[in-house]
Amino acid sequence: MNEYIVEMTDIEKNFELVKAVSNGQFNLKKGEIHSLIGENGAGKSTMMKILYGIYPYDSGTIKVNGEKLADITPKQAIEHEIGMVHQEFMLVNELTVLENIILGFEPRKRITIDFDSARKDIQKYIDNYKMDIQPNKRINQISVGEAQRVEIIKTLYRGAQILILDEPTAVLTPQECKKFFEILNNLKADGKSVVFISHKLKEVMEISDRITVMRQGRYVDTVNKADTNTANLAKMMVGREVFLNVERRKAEIGDTVLEVKDLWTSGEKELSKIRGVSLTVKSGEIVGIAGIDGNGQSEFVEAIAGLRKVEQGTVLLDGANITNRSPQKIREIGLTHIPEDRNLRGLSRGMSIMDNLVAVKADQKPFAKGIVRNRKEIFDFSAELIKKFDVRPDNPYALAQSLSGGNAQKVVVAREVDANGKLLIASQPSRGVDIGAIESIRKILNEVKASGKGILLVSADLEEILSLSDRIVVMYEGKIMGTIDAEDANEDNVGMMMMGGISSEANKAVEAGGAVLS
Amino acid sequence: MDFSSIFDYTLIYATIRAATPILFAALAAVITQQADIINIGTEGIMLTGAFTAVCVSYFTGSWVLALLAAMIAGVVMAMIMATAHIKYKADICAIGTAINIFALAITKFGIKQFLGTSGSFTNPRIIAIPKIHISIFDSNKYLNGLLNNWSLMEIFGIVMVFMITFMLYRTVWGLRLRSVGRFPMAAKTAGINVNRMKYQVMVISGILGGMAGAHLSIGYSQMFTENMTNGRGFMGVAAMFFGSANPMLAWIGCLLFGLTDSIGGRLQAYGWPSQFVLMMPYIITIFVLTVSLWRKSVREAKIKSSLLTEQL
Amino acid sequence: MKSPNKYINLLLTIVVSMLIGAVIMLMLGYNPLEAYFQLFKGAFVGKLNLGTTLQKFVPLLLTSMAFVISSRVGIFNVGVEGELYLGALAAAWVGFTFTGLPAPVHIVFCFAFAMLVGAAWASIPGALKAQWGVNEVCVTILMNYVAMFITSYLVNGPFSAKTGVPQTPAVAAGVKLTQFMRPSQAHTGLFIAIAAVIFIYWLMSRSTLGYKFTSAGLNPLHAQYVGIDPKKTMIRAMMLSGAVGGMAGCIEVLGVYGYFLDNFSSGIAFDGMLAALIVKSDIKTVPFMAFFLAVLKSGALGMERYTGVSKAIVDTIIAVFIIFATMEALFTFKKKHKAKKEASAVTGKEDQQGGLNNGF
Repeated sequence: MNEYIVEMTDIEKNFELVKAVSNGQFNLKKGEIHSLIGENGAGKSTMMKILYGIYPYDSGTIKVNGEKLADITPKQAIEHEIGMVHQEFMLVNELTVLENIILGFEPRKRITIDFDSARKDIQKYIDNYKMDIQPNKRINQISVGEAQRVEIIKTLYRGAQILILDEPTAVLTPQECKKFFEILNNLKADGKSVVFISHKLKEVMEISDRITVMRQGRYVDTVNKADTNTANLAKMMVGREVFLNVERRKAEIGDTVLEVKDLWTSGEKELSKIRGVSLTVKSGEIVGIAGIDGNGQSEFVEAIAGLRKVEQGTVLLDGANITNRSPQKIREIGLTHIPEDRNLRGLSRGMSIMDNLVAVKADQKPFAKGIVRNRKEIFDFSAELIKKFDVRPDNPYALAQSLSGGNAQKVVVAREVDANGKLLIASQPSRGVDIGAIESIRKILNEVKASGKGILLVSADLEEILSLSDRIVVMYEGKIMGTIDAEDANEDNVGMMMMGGISSEANKAVEAGGAVLS
Repeated sequence: MDFSSIFDYTLIYATIRAATPILFAALAAVITQQADIINIGTEGIMLTGAFTAVCVSYFTGSWVLALLAAMIAGVVMAMIMATAHIKYKADICAIGTAINIFALAITKFGIKQFLGTSGSFTNPRIIAIPKIHISIFDSNKYLNGLLNNWSLMEIFGIVMVFMITFMLYRTVWGLRLRSVGRFPMAAKTAGINVNRMKYQVMVISGILGGMAGAHLSIGYSQMFTENMTNGRGFMGVAAMFFGSANPMLAWIGCLLFGLTDSIGGRLQAYGWPSQFVLMMPYIITIFVLTVSLWRKSVREAKIKSSLLTEQL
Repeated sequence: MKSPNKYINLLLTIVVSMLIGAVIMLMLGYNPLEAYFQLFKGAFVGKLNLGTTLQKFVPLLLTSMAFVISSRVGIFNVGVEGELYLGALAAAWVGFTFTGLPAPVHIVFCFAFAMLVGAAWASIPGALKAQWGVNEVCVTILMNYVAMFITSYLVNGPFSAKTGVPQTPAVAAGVKLTQFMRPSQAHTGLFIAIAAVIFIYWLMSRSTLGYKFTSAGLNPLHAQYVGIDPKKTMIRAMMLSGAVGGMAGCIEVLGVYGYFLDNFSSGIAFDGMLAALIVKSDIKTVPFMAFFLAVLKSGALGMERYTGVSKAIVDTIIAVFIIFATMEALFTFKKKHKAKKEASAVTGKEDQQGGLNNGF
């Protein structure tokens, strides 16, 4: 019994009407790296957030170091030597690295902060675990990889012996991952225990000692790494054999639909500023932009769609110059766009599904004559689209906020695909979407391609890029690293370019004439 | 128009004098802004403080009690706002406006009920906040004009600027507050009680707002008029925006308003219509607000621009 | 799911506020039942009383609607008072300057000019907010003072009727709206106002304009993405809001006074804003709340006359009313409240980075 430093038994957690966790089991041995895996919405993140005290739980037992814990708060979790690194970093942009690390645990000189002693302590961690950070820089001045190291040092500084890492490798390239795993092994050697939440099976197989699988809020099984493999894990995660590789039809390529020439645009971070990107998309093909999130893809798409100022360069849609024109005008010329954040951009959560479906044509006939809206037309149109795209529940009057992730995405896809533009931009189309919806969305994308439209696909999911694209463009730090045809592309050469390097494989592809390096 | 009689050395003290009530209001707004709370109710807190100060000073003859009572009244108003906003999720602009209206109503009621009149109340029995008189300065025209006869509050106001700056940027409490205002979730996961900090800043804001009102009614003058704050609470909020919630910079904003106010008064002597003169502080405030937010957007655009920054 | 709750909440809030008012009255030695009785009598019984209620209702109705319009796009237009003043003066100017025009045409010009001036005035804070995010609460309140000074200067100077009282010359006889319920000042502007409000309701709920306002207000990023320019929309909404405010001023001048009087409004527009705030800008209930406030204000005179209870108490009750009304989560039951807290923990939007976008 005492070999487990964390024991979570029979955990139940409901959010209003949603059962996030209905049979949660998890235990952690001292000094192990234990992966907690499952699809989006499986409940793994929720389980750990409960352990760290961010959510209260409805029933069950939690024991840490043998001690039963009832109402946990983050403060108590920290007191019990639990630390958590969240998917979205809990770092305050305007404060420095140092200030963020000591927040809440500041070394004091009476009521003032003892900055000198803080600096000394942090240097110890930098030296011990070989984690390179710059204490005096502000968070909005450092890279994502460094921010993650700051988060880890923060948990160590607070005395964590148990580290919970929520999807840490989502922001790292394959090669940065290797460095990250070295750090994890250093921590393990030092006696720390790690919970590694992920859905990336290859990494999980590489780093874990034990693996726990959750599916739809329920515990499935716990296995030792030695006794399993990725296929097995996938089956446990999904509950059925998974074939996500939709057959890629050979593209019938026509005229140029999108031409981007030497585009420069602003960026939220230094490394996501677009500096001189050119690309083309022809009708009948899917061009996939591969790259880790945060390398400028969002900004690039926004610039094309008229949602961000183009500072230099031109964008031509079907021959017409759309640089810096209004989003409305650009849509008229033929752009349709599935945005990467359906809650922020794609939908108006407080309005009905009906109004969301008709949003881009709300003031055109037949949905309006002058300023008078024609409700019947809007209703009929929406009912039809809902049926065609299998949106559930199927009430056009229902508010968009009542939709699940997958169905909400279907509404956005329905609207954009129905608008029948010349170019469809699909940005992170499978993010936060259940497997059933993913399959149907990918099918739809292929149908759109077959009907002669051009598609610009942007995805941080390399598997998605590889399975859908005819041509792959890799974006890294605001520039194009290289272009490669689908036949010559694989995880290694594309992954290499995603982190800014050029592999020997990619070099070979260049020699064979299939790839272009920028 | 004789420029030298408008812009002379006495303008310096006049500016500080006119800026002081706005300064306390600005500091009240600054401290809550650091927790991401826009204290629109500063006007109402000030008004309540002004009335309470006059009332208590009139009935007890003690400016100390009056000042204390004003601070308590400010805290009461601030706590109503805080509870409504933090516990009951009231929109901050809505509850702020509600408090302002509430203050108008209860002071109107109070002036009738407790002081037996309406409109305005003045009485020699009202004891004012004392001024610091340094007799050796009396002989020298410049020293007298610049440094003599300062109200206690005026000195205290400047002291508060430095105190709050220190509190925000050097203490543990200040660091935690700044994180609460900028990224509450990060503060929460660090074990900080976000709501408790929000209540704390509202209390401080109430104290400062009450002091602002007290200075207005028993420091600046010795009377209470209905709606005597007349927008000064909002000027304080504007000064806060001007300084991006930094106390020192907000102080500069207040001095700017005080300057405009004082110059305006002098221009009136030259036959400028009173309404234009009275308008000026408000127009300058709007202008200053706009400029500071415009500059902020330009700064942000520069930082984000791909053209200007050096490549890493 | 929230709708039945909304109206129950409102009712509970009214009851609680009136109870608090009753307590205050008791503490001061008055009989609350008698006071409230005289309050409602003073609002309804008799031509003078009912007429006064109707007369007070008109500007309250319009100014509350003006506030509702701007809140559709998420803007807190506290500047309706300024728009009221400027619109009133503009209408008075058209009224007394032009002679020999046929009355209907003249009236239309008065309204048109008043609404134009109001719209232009409101477009300033609208543009500042849309373009640079300047806090509109601050700006509109400051601009109210400016507007009042401008009108004060004009009515005491170039537009003065030189009678010793700060007023403009009277408007042309045909322009003045008929007062139909003597001895009160209730006038036909009531019907104009009601018609305007019906039109605005239609505009907000059935037209593409209203749709764009709602979209831009709920989610400006989404609006921009689907092709609705959020900045232009915000400014348009503010202009419409200002126009309605100007109309309110125009009606006061043409209906109640027949000229512009300095400082004629003792915060009418703020009372209108109160009505809107209390019902959280719900367009269907606003007119009724405006009427209720008119009842309270008008009845307070009668109450003071017959029971000695000061008018300021009514103001206080209304203020308490608002304080409670702004508390979203006040009367929700405990379980629902806990669930709400968790829901916001999940989405955590208010806990995310970048909260201080107004100050920083």
